Amino acid sequence: MAGLGREYKAGEIIVRQGDAGNCMFVIQKGEVEALAESDGRELRLRSMGPHEFFGEMALFEKEVRTATIRAIRPTRILTIDKKNFLGGVHEDPSLSFRILQMMSHRIRDLTDRLAGYEEVD
Amino acid sequence: MIKAESPALHDGSRIAVIGAGPAGSMFSYFFLNMAELIGLQADVDMYEPRQFCHRGPSGCNHCGGIVSESLVQRLATEGINLPGGIVQRGIESYTLHMDVGDVEIATPLMEQRIAAIYRGHGPKESAPEAASSFDGYLQELAQDKGAAIIRRLVTGIRRVDERMTVQCADQTSVDYDLVVVAAGVNSRLLDILESDMPAFRQPDRTKTFICEFHLGKELINKTFGPSMHVFLLDIPRLEFAALIPKGDYVTLCLLGDDIDEELMTRFFESPEVRNCFPQNMIPPHVCHCYPRINISPSRPIYGDRLVMIGDSGSTRLFKDGIGASYRTAKAAAKTVVFHGVGADSFKQHYAPLCRRIDHDNLVGKFVFNVAGLVQKARFARRGVLRMTRGEQQRTKGPRRMSGVLWDLFSGSASYTNVFLRTLHPAYIGTLVWNLVAGNVRGKSTADSHATEGDGSHARH
Amino acid sequence: MPGTDRPAEKAAAPSFRTLAQQAEKQPPCQVHCPNSGDVRGWLGIIAQHEKNGLTLDQAFDEAWGRIALLNPLPAAIARICPHPCEDRCIRSDKDGAVSINALERFLGDWALSRTLPLPSVMPRRHEESIGVIGSGPASLSFAYQMARRGYGVTVYERGESIGGMLRRAIPEYRLPHDVLDAEVNRLLELGITLKNNTDIRSAIGFEELRDQHDMVFLGLGAQAARRLGIPGEDGPCVTAGIDYLRERKQHSQSLDGRRVLVVGGGNTAIDAARSALRDGAHVTLLYRRSETEMPAIAAEVTDARLEGVEFRFLVSPTRIIRDGDEITGVEIRPMRLGEPDAQGRRRPIAGKGPPQVLAADLVLSAVSQAPDWHGLEAILDEGGAPHADQDGRIDKGLWAGGDDRGAGIAGNAIAQGRFAAESAHAELRGEPAPRLQAHNQAVQGECVQHDYYANRERGERPRLPQLQQLADPDAEIDQTISPEQAYREATRCMSCGLCFDCQQCFMYCNAAGFTRVTETRPGNYFVLALEACEGCGKCVELCPCGYLELRDTEVAPQ
Repeated sequence: MAGLGREYKAGEIIVRQGDAGNCMFVIQKGEVEALAESDGRELRLRSMGPHEFFGEMALFEKEVRTATIRAIRPTRILTIDKKNFLGGVHEDPSLSFRILQMMSHRIRDLTDRLAGYEEVD
Repeated sequence: MIKAESPALHDGSRIAVIGAGPAGSMFSYFFLNMAELIGLQADVDMYEPRQFCHRGPSGCNHCGGIVSESLVQRLATEGINLPGGIVQRGIESYTLHMDVGDVEIATPLMEQRIAAIYRGHGPKESAPEAASSFDGYLQELAQDKGAAIIRRLVTGIRRVDERMTVQCADQTSVDYDLVVVAAGVNSRLLDILESDMPAFRQPDRTKTFICEFHLGKELINKTFGPSMHVFLLDIPRLEFAALIPKGDYVTLCLLGDDIDEELMTRFFESPEVRNCFPQNMIPPHVCHCYPRINISPSRPIYGDRLVMIGDSGSTRLFKDGIGASYRTAKAAAKTVVFHGVGADSFKQHYAPLCRRIDHDNLVGKFVFNVAGLVQKARFARRGVLRMTRGEQQRTKGPRRMSGVLWDLFSGSASYTNVFLRTLHPAYIGTLVWNLVAGNVRGKSTADSHATEGDGSHARH
Repeated sequence: MPGTDRPAEKAAAPSFRTLAQQAEKQPPCQVHCPNSGDVRGWLGIIAQHEKNGLTLDQAFDEAWGRIALLNPLPAAIARICPHPCEDRCIRSDKDGAVSINALERFLGDWALSRTLPLPSVMPRRHEESIGVIGSGPASLSFAYQMARRGYGVTVYERGESIGGMLRRAIPEYRLPHDVLDAEVNRLLELGITLKNNTDIRSAIGFEELRDQHDMVFLGLGAQAARRLGIPGEDGPCVTAGIDYLRERKQHSQSLDGRRVLVVGGGNTAIDAARSALRDGAHVTLLYRRSETEMPAIAAEVTDARLEGVEFRFLVSPTRIIRDGDEITGVEIRPMRLGEPDAQGRRRPIAGKGPPQVLAADLVLSAVSQAPDWHGLEAILDEGGAPHADQDGRIDKGLWAGGDDRGAGIAGNAIAQGRFAAESAHAELRGEPAPRLQAHNQAVQGECVQHDYYANRERGERPRLPQLQQLADPDAEIDQTISPEQAYREATRCMSCGLCFDCQQCFMYCNAAGFTRVTETRPGNYFVLALEACEGCGKCVELCPCGYLELRDTEVAPQ
């Protein structure tokens, strides 16, 4: 079965927290996990599967990667260039709509989790 | 009574999309998506009597089958990820073949970013497999969103009062609020529209040639690898030739000025082409067609309650037709959802995109003419080769010629963009240097296939 | 590298060996009709009438005309034909065969109700005089084809009524007399001289007849029933089925409470069984093979069973048990199926098991019939039958057709009468024999694309309700469909092997190689410019009826 993107073996790192980034990633097949490191501890943020995005913040900001993304299983990932994306959005602003939808979803998810932690405190 | 405003869609409106190729399917998909967002209830009927699950030309929309890098990314951003079964091969690099030598043009990303696909279900007599049609996949996406497929052949479009009527070969007629023509340029529908609507002029077209060679997956992996093989040969009227490896077959695509048998014979006799094949022998082909492609747009591209998208309207010259279909389909969908279906809505919100494409095509024509000069002049070919090889050997530093060639072959950037890059002083300077160096140092080195060019047949 | 090419190895230039072409093919309905009826043609006239500027009524008229060119008695024949055309209809594999038989019957009745004239009839213009013996379907068909070509024809019929087996033996619940009489009278009105109640053996003499006419056609039928060949057969209460059917048309009789055994498996046996039932008898049919080998029309067998006829298969009578002028029973023995014979039918041979005696008051034997050549012995050969060629020509000026050349369905008789007439006419006029014309290739089933045509179930044939069928024993059971049903059913024809204007080839040819014809008619809508063809094969793949095909042209240089 042919596919698009680049193949990563299970356990391979795709992006590292702190790296500079100028592209977004879309998973074609497989599964990855997002890990944030803080005070030497590795916190598992979430796992993601086919057709999900990650690294989208690099398209909008010039900051470094906020998490490490590692493949859990053999995975195929397509990169979306910043230049290509911004050029596309310039011609057709609705191109970013799906990313906005997903970000909105993530904010909702994080808000819920944060509310959960606040309660514990 | 106030004069009616520009006509717009409302709940219960009906849209006819003529043709369910990429333009028609993507229009329907995006339209239904956006209509859902704003709570507009409209029905979409896609008229498509052919079935993309059929092998050979009857189920095929005739094209080399390259989804460009930029389109792959845009589709992924839209949430459309081409499944593995649709991608016959992920293309990673280009290999440029000229009489003076070969060079492989790759990006450092080690990623397969270009999809080689079959528009239909594969060549005639290909082995049975699960559904692999690209057009079929897009059609399914539209159907999942709620578009209906009407398997009837449209033979006429008439304007009757405030509505449009679609007539079919079986003598049925249905009324719609909007008709979207996405019938390509290889059907007689545009001829019929020309006679039904005197103001309409269909695109000027030229003849291209596409055929398939059966070599088997293993042999193709060995001989072609995940690389698209492009030829710049001194054959008049031949603008572009490519061998695109897919699954068990290799697709040959010849573009130019009315491809005919004489041109093809010269092409097949070129050693650069024969040397690409196992044992330097070109096998007989198993499937072929002479599709027409646009060399000018339709005029006009819209009317009240009528719009032409994809090849039926404006498309990119020679390359990335599918990408142009996506852009025109989406722009037309946005126009009808958010603005209206009258001629002035299209004029304001749809025509500008088409004009940009048309203007870019003028630049493209110029660029291909220049490429034609390179094809004719041996010293130019040597210079280009040397410059490209040099860039590919280095791991750092700007790859200007590689980038220009890449974007020209893949259609990933606009022709204007490509052209502007060739005006960069560093590009011009390096090219001039290579033109001199490649021609003065002695022909044997520059013409050698035995130097660094030999790694060009990618082995994976 | 230039200059180092391998010698004598030219590049494999694309070989465009195959180009598309339009090629009409023979559909299975036509191939399997004994009369080569142009079923697809007349269905197309109806289905495509709008495209060709006809009203539906005009289309029905024209479709009937097409049928009547080959068969002057469609209303009658359709009522009794086992429709081999329909059995082979390619649409059977999709959602049910096209109801060709019901449509032919509809058109036959349509023509009668509108008193349409028989088509293409020439006035009397030839001098030769034609004599026809017998007035069954073969004779009537021959007479018709000769009369419409302008010959003077005289028909000699031994009995009072015209129509042969159609009139005298086939029960009215299958073929009402008024329908047959109407079609026969229409035929005779072409100026055919009828001499009924005239037995040529006694009235004229065969040789004298041959002197009077330039051409004589023998349509004697096969009216002599074969014997069972078992003891006790001769005597009262054992009758040939065919004689029973003829007699009950003349004098109705009651068989109330009688037990009747019918021996045989053909249509005559079934007709006799169902008629006896209607006359009040309790009927059992005995057949020496199994049900699947029965030559009778399957629908008739089903109807017989529904009406109450009992069936015993794989049994054969061995003797009739008599008691004075009556019979008490029939002894039967079991049979089994052996090896296939020359025609491929499995031979019945004696089986194991003891004989059995079935009680019976009347035995009707319907085990095939033979022609009665009495008075015509001069033309017989050693085998006891005249030797005729494939068109029925026995000798100069002497032709034969129908059951006297081999038992078959009425459609066969119509066909033989027609072929004989066409051949005879050619001989009289000194023209080449017409049957030498080559046929088109037959349609290959796999070339018809079922998924192009939308699924539409076959229409139901209207019938008298079951209870009414026996209450009025002579009432016709099957009814004629309505014009709306007829149109709908005609549009189910897939036009196998002939263009019906789907327009896909025209629309999708990359080279715009197809042009629309100005005067269209069914089968003729587009012309392919051969020099435009680029050999991609798209039109051939899209053509749903297999009309377009690829042909091999010269091979490109290797």
